[in-house]
Amino acid sequence: MSESNKTKPDAERTKPPGAAANYLLISAGSIFTSMLIAGFIVGYMLDQLFDTTPLFFLSCAVLGFIGGIQKVHQLTKRLDPPLKEKESEDDQKS
Amino acid sequence: MGTVEYIQHHLTNNSIGEGFWTLNIDTIVVSLILGALIVFVSARLGRQLSTGEPGGFQNFVESILDFVATNVRDAFPGHNPIIAPLALTIFIWVWLMNFMDMIPVDLFPYLFQLITGDSHAFLKIVPTTDLNTTLAMALTVFVLIIFYSIKIKGVWGFTKMFLFHPFGKFFIPVNIVMTFIEEISKPLSLALRLFGNMFAGELVFLLIALIGGTLAVGAAALFWAPLQIILDLGWLIFHLLVITLQAFIFMVLTIVYLGMAHDESH
Repeated sequence: MSESNKTKPDAERTKPPGAAANYLLISAGSIFTSMLIAGFIVGYMLDQLFDTTPLFFLSCAVLGFIGGIQKVHQLTKRLDPPLKEKESEDDQKS
Repeated sequence: MGTVEYIQHHLTNNSIGEGFWTLNIDTIVVSLILGALIVFVSARLGRQLSTGEPGGFQNFVESILDFVATNVRDAFPGHNPIIAPLALTIFIWVWLMNFMDMIPVDLFPYLFQLITGDSHAFLKIVPTTDLNTTLAMALTVFVLIIFYSIKIKGVWGFTKMFLFHPFGKFFIPVNIVMTFIEEISKPLSLALRLFGNMFAGELVFLLIALIGGTLAVGAAALFWAPLQIILDLGWLIFHLLVITLQAFIFMVLTIVYLGMAHDESH
């Protein structure tokens, strides 16, 4: 435990997690669902705290929904790198 | 006992206590026995390790170790000696708990009812069909995620993640709520995926068991019993893949989430 990522050189430390993100793709569906559920939970807790039912309950659910879409988009956009390369090649031609 | 009662009976835990302090005895005992089995077998194998010509079981365990070590190397960007043992423990323990699903659904409850003399005694021997087990494991992983996030990124780095992620410095209140949601969704997705898959698998086994049980009367059993055997065998083979995949996913996502906690750019 004494050694950590801090000991690694900057370039290696900041490189994108290649295989790791691929594994996350397995659970893209459940990540989206759990973001929505987590939104409801956080909203419910905030509503209990401030006595504002159902203001936070609904708004946090919307945030969870947006966050879920954002997360799944982040994960799945990695699947399509050839298209981006092709686009950049087209841009260069034009 | 009707069909609904049969299913409900098999999906109810043997518990004591009330409310928040309800303890599911069957879940706790079975998971502890399986944990003790891992410790016992590991200790026994550890004493008999040979470097010359390893036996079949040692080869088998070494192949599992290799498999887990490869996954840790692939998915974990930093270096932390606790990750591989943690991943190995999670994989084997979850797999064994899932494997309880392969035992005929009526066998242990029937034996338990015979032993206790209570024909309505509850017993659910698959700990991962209990949300408490999966959520407890996911929360343990979550605590480790928070611990390493703070340890690696520092308190300010961890706070910054809440303040400026994902919408930048102009939406700090929204960012805080959003990051909370994101963090809570990690243990939730871990726990609910495993629980959902195992619960559904157990339910299908129960439905198949009902074909040859309450539904078949007299000569009709000649048709329904072979059908039950074929369906049971088919689902068992398929479910063997499911339990392995679910144990693998739980392990790999633990590594990935802990890897993200170790990565300062996240």
